[in-house]
Amino acid sequence: MTSSETKQELTREFSGLKYILTSGMRSKLLLTIYENPKNLDDLRNELKKPSATILHGLKELENSNLVKKVHKYYELTSNGYLITTNMIKLIENWYSVNKGKLFWNNHDLSGIPDDMLKNIYLLKNARYVNSTTSDLSNAMNAYLAQISQARKLKIILPIYSENHFKHLIKLLDGTKLESLELVISEELERSMNQNEYFKNSLLNNEKVKIKIIKRKIKIFLTFSEEFVCLTLFFKDGHYDDSQLLIANDNDALKWALTLSTYY
Amino acid sequence: MNFQTDINNDIKFLAKSEIRLKILSELYKEPNNVRGIVKITKITYSSVSSNIGKLEKNNHIKKINNKYHVTPMAEVYLKSLIDFKNSIDMINDYDTFWDKHNLNQLSLDSVKNITDLKESELIEATPTEIFKTHNTIKKQMLKSKNVKAIFPYLHPEYPKLIEKVLKNKGTVELIIPQNIFKELIFRIDGKVRRDAIKKRKLKVYKFKQDLNLYLSICDENIGLGLFKNDGSFDQNRILISSNKKSHEWSEKLFEHIRQQVI
Repeated sequence: MTSSETKQELTREFSGLKYILTSGMRSKLLLTIYENPKNLDDLRNELKKPSATILHGLKELENSNLVKKVHKYYELTSNGYLITTNMIKLIENWYSVNKGKLFWNNHDLSGIPDDMLKNIYLLKNARYVNSTTSDLSNAMNAYLAQISQARKLKIILPIYSENHFKHLIKLLDGTKLESLELVISEELERSMNQNEYFKNSLLNNEKVKIKIIKRKIKIFLTFSEEFVCLTLFFKDGHYDDSQLLIANDNDALKWALTLSTYY
Repeated sequence: MNFQTDINNDIKFLAKSEIRLKILSELYKEPNNVRGIVKITKITYSSVSSNIGKLEKNNHIKKINNKYHVTPMAEVYLKSLIDFKNSIDMINDYDTFWDKHNLNQLSLDSVKNITDLKESELIEATPTEIFKTHNTIKKQMLKSKNVKAIFPYLHPEYPKLIEKVLKNKGTVELIIPQNIFKELIFRIDGKVRRDAIKKRKLKVYKFKQDLNLYLSICDENIGLGLFKNDGSFDQNRILISSNKKSHEWSEKLFEHIRQQVI
């Protein structure tokens, strides 16, 4: 293939994407009409653009069968609805990541399957807690505050951390926590079994259900019916306990639950 | 409109250039240098080099030991953009299926995950085979141990089909409009029906509002049908898919509609 053929093929492949995303007018019109059908006056007021510009954009969208005009009102066609819904998902994905720039950009994401990364918009209401040099345990404390309230916990646990184990045992001894599901690697199970205390109070605890998987785990995910907590590893393979994602809304719970089915 | 519902410049920066998208997806597959990318993509050296410069400036890629790596964030951006591209392809590839059809009963989640149906096949009736859509579904149902379906209308063959699945020791779960309930259920052999209901092998949910969606989940395939905007069911088109993702997609949609049955 020559260079110009490659270019042509690429242009063809991405033309749909480009058509929607690179024209501010077209994408704004779709997003505005998505809320509900609008007439020209509404659109002019909302978009603060002259009629000619708006009409030109609308004509283009009508020609590509994304918008239709019904009794002076512009509404989305079926295709327009499908595309705009997915464009909103794209925008929300982007927003989710940008909200936690530090978190998402610093870590190894290979423990999160593609399908979950594509649906990161579900984490748009998450907040990020960072440990600082003046408060090294900020993230850990926020984490403990979440798990101490839970009745049912599920944890995908990638690290041997006595600190975490001790906190979990304390919760299991208490009355609030009814059940704990742990997903751990074979390697981690072996290490835990070498310690009598962890073996008896955690692995063999009757409130605890253990699932052992063969591959290495690269996420630390904890969730209950009320919260989701996530920490990750650096690209160099070290675990990072200083940056924590916390979320308490249904979308995030849905995300965590689906993610856990991959483990 | 607020910042959450606007295309930001970052999105535009990547979407504007198919060359940048191509470079990014190649680097994501395997970190490489300018020369390597030129070799793989056949894009000119000057273009690759200038776009790599721009990508690096925008923190989408990072040079480590002479090779460019995609940053984790750009990885999410890329996947998200490709997913959006796939959804556009999905809509365009099956244009006759979606266009001028009623999508009200698809859940928001199912629309957002429309790419799960990517590997579908559109079955269309032809002048020589006008019942092709129904016959396709029928074949699937007869082979199936377990059937879940949303039937928005009554096809005269449905009672017998359900009966056959049940006689085969299978299970059937249905969501149907209230007004066809009697017609459908009482035409299933009485003994088979009562037995199945007792053993919870036949579950029927009556839907009180209009049903504008056809969905069948069989062991091997799922089938999806839509109503046209004029209110009539489009008997001439059905989307069939057999992979795991489309099954999960359909199960979720079934559950979404089932929850509307009070």
